[in-house]
Amino acid sequence: MNETKLTARNVDVFYGPKKAIDNVSIDIDNGIVTAFIGPSGCGKSTFLRSLNRMNDTIADARVTGEILLDGEDIYAASMDPVALRARVGMVFQKPNPFPKTIYENIAYGPRIHGLAENKADMDAVVESALTKAGLWEEVKDRLTDAGTALSGGQQQRLCIARAIAVSPEVILMDEPCSALDPIATAKIEELIDELKENYAIVIVTHSMQQAARVSQRTAFFHLGNLVEYGETSDIFTNPREEKTKDYITGRYG
Amino acid sequence: MTNPHWQTDVATRRIERRNAAERRFKLLGLGAIVLSLAFLALLLFIMLKNGLGGLDWDFLSGTDSTSPDVAGVWGATKGSLLTMLVTLLLSFPMGVLAAIYLEEFAPKNRWIDLVEVSINNLAAVPSIIFGLLGLAVFINTLDMPRSSPLVGGLTLALMTMPVIVISGRNAIKAVPPSIRDAALAVGASKVQTVFHHVLPLALPGILTGTIIGMARALGETAPLLMIGMRAFVVTPPGGVTDPSSVLPMQIFLWSDEIDTGFVQNTSAAIIVLLVFLLAMNGIAIYLRNKFEVRW
Repeated sequence: MNETKLTARNVDVFYGPKKAIDNVSIDIDNGIVTAFIGPSGCGKSTFLRSLNRMNDTIADARVTGEILLDGEDIYAASMDPVALRARVGMVFQKPNPFPKTIYENIAYGPRIHGLAENKADMDAVVESALTKAGLWEEVKDRLTDAGTALSGGQQQRLCIARAIAVSPEVILMDEPCSALDPIATAKIEELIDELKENYAIVIVTHSMQQAARVSQRTAFFHLGNLVEYGETSDIFTNPREEKTKDYITGRYG
Repeated sequence: MTNPHWQTDVATRRIERRNAAERRFKLLGLGAIVLSLAFLALLLFIMLKNGLGGLDWDFLSGTDSTSPDVAGVWGATKGSLLTMLVTLLLSFPMGVLAAIYLEEFAPKNRWIDLVEVSINNLAAVPSIIFGLLGLAVFINTLDMPRSSPLVGGLTLALMTMPVIVISGRNAIKAVPPSIRDAALAVGASKVQTVFHHVLPLALPGILTGTIIGMARALGETAPLLMIGMRAFVVTPPGGVTDPSSVLPMQIFLWSDEIDTGFVQNTSAAIIVLLVFLLAMNGIAIYLRNKFEVRW
């Protein structure tokens, strides 16, 4: 049985005076993939970034309402955004490995969080993260090469491994395949499918086919509103809202 | 079939005109470079012709004297070294920290805008004004030793810091935001993000700016006039509080002498200063290449 991992209640997000997200409430479950779809500028990435407080880094961004992680308000004064981001990892649109070695890319997070006692521990953490991200076999003989020397798809899996290495509970993915070719995309999608056993995964995607392939639940955003949220199969075969139907049939977006 | 438009006389003439314009521009550019290099070559030639004869060990290890045969440049060289050391130790950490704060931590408001404008203005203030400031604050108010590399270094640090702040901010700004996102997303704090990721990537740019600022400070004479570094000093300074001169000041003083023997000394001192400058630039380029991360 799946349990709710993240809950948003009446969330608004503002950039200065502009309202980017309007009164969104949603429950995100453990053990499945939840996809956010919608046309460009609909606020799906904005909403995603408010789930691990990455919006804090934007000077005039403001979030109101309530976002709960295991029932705990992540915007409460007692919540440390730095600790939160270790629990809610993120993978970005463009692969962004650190310009360091492959090993260092993975080891950085565990090191600053004190997750490894010694070199042997760290080696194990790095191997485990790379294995889970399906990259170990490809890079195990060149861990000291630059992470940026890998191909685009490998870089993105390195970024996923980097997120996994700090043992998060939720992984947010912001269009993780938009810079990748179809073969690399297929690999990432496979990986997402394997990872969902152990994490709550939220993926923002421009591709409706991708949402249909990888997710169990889909949320459709339009102009800052959550228009429809439900089982992916229902959204794609039997949408309740006219707007959803228009979008998935390609009438706009 | 070729479009007949391209075969008319008008079209041919237009293309010829365009090619001629390209050739003219290339010649003009080449001329500008040749002209400026010619002046440099002329300068070097005159310096070497006048100065090489005087450039021996006695000159390099000697100190100032009223007699051109005995006068050497070591006192001023050591003064320059000590002054630059004080300048670097002060302006580099201060400039880098200010750049980091302004770029990564400062809130966006009018006060910070004001600070920004002030720093940019500071970089453009004529250097003699800094000399007056040094005289008023360091010597008159704080009672520091006159003519010393300490006061010279402090004064030049004031001048160099804004240059380091400005180039540092540009270098920090050039680090892609995605690197900051990446670090924050694995749970690095703001300070960890800056010191583990942003600063190492910005360092080559910061070093370049620092060296430009330092090179300017090394050649600076006007502010040091104000704080008394033009004194006639016969013993090389033992520390930063001893009275001393600096290389450009020594050149200035010697160029003013009536005795023709000092012409050679002046040129030789200029050669020493140029070598000093080249060495500094060389170190900077070495450091920059060493820290440069390619990706």
